[in-house]
Amino acid sequence: MDIDHFEKIVLSVKNKLFRFALRMLGSQDDAKDVVQEVFIRVWNNRATAGDVRNWEAWCMRMARNLSLDRLRASARKPSLAIDESITLEQQDPTPDTSAELSESMTTVREIMDALPEKQRQVMHLRDVEGYSYQEICEILELDMSQVKVNLFRARNAVREKMLKIDAYGL
Amino acid sequence: MDSEHIHALLEKYWRCETSLEEEQQLRTYFRRPDIPESLRETAALFRHLDESRNKVLDSTFDKEVMKRVSKTRTIVRKWVYNSMRIAAGIVVVVMAVWLVRVEIRQSQPVSDQDTYSDPELAFEETKKALLMISKSFNLAEQQARKIQLFNEAQNEIRQEKSAQQEPEGHL
Repeated sequence: MDIDHFEKIVLSVKNKLFRFALRMLGSQDDAKDVVQEVFIRVWNNRATAGDVRNWEAWCMRMARNLSLDRLRASARKPSLAIDESITLEQQDPTPDTSAELSESMTTVREIMDALPEKQRQVMHLRDVEGYSYQEICEILELDMSQVKVNLFRARNAVREKMLKIDAYGL
Repeated sequence: MDSEHIHALLEKYWRCETSLEEEQQLRTYFRRPDIPESLRETAALFRHLDESRNKVLDSTFDKEVMKRVSKTRTIVRKWVYNSMRIAAGIVVVVMAVWLVRVEIRQSQPVSDQDTYSDPELAFEETKKALLMISKSFNLAEQQARKIQLFNEAQNEIRQEKSAQQEPEGHL
């Protein structure tokens, strides 16, 4: 892997890594540090990177492990709410978001943030990043049935809570 | 895309039976502004997922990473350079030691050096030298015997002389 390949190909997954780390850590600075660390490790291990079958999944797994290390090191619970005070760059902002819809989106975010860690990770990888089940298995080092069960529980937990809020305003 | 199709896709979605393409269809549908009231909450979910996907790193990130990577490259390059310098130093020292050794060997007298490389030849030459020494010893011994014979004769004469003088004294 030369420097051009690294810059053009490897760096292109930075935003996926960043969002995943941000989902786990809840802090933009921590997530950014994790992504930088991933890329430094990829560069330092570029001699063996050619043997990796799916290097994107490899990078994602590294981001997950580094995020978990940070959470363990700081002995804190995974942050449930992403720090919304930080201004993040937005690609193609969601059009025509009414105030009512915006309020519902906040509720959805709170529901998703309250999901168990594994369910949250699986749902993020599938519904935000669009990974296949096989890729999610590789990233999270889970088997297919575990991935499907966690996704099913996550989606249905979100759906049920949304229905309750809609019906009873809870 | 009709409402029935969307509802059918949504049911599949909740059961986790949709393909990635079908999920993409749902995402595209829920970006529309004219979503029916019955799907308002579901639209909020898909909009939230869309919004999550729009979180990206700022443009300075690539530069920061490339700077750190370049620094790593510089460190590696420095390490290689220093290693080569050390290796070159070792080569110079080894060469110097070898040259000094050769010089000392050349300046040593020939007698200090080994003269024969073949052990059998060395043995024959040693035998010759020892035989020569042995012959010389034999010659010297012959001469010494003559001197000893002379000494013995001298001692006998002295003894006879003293024996003759003793009876004369008694008389």
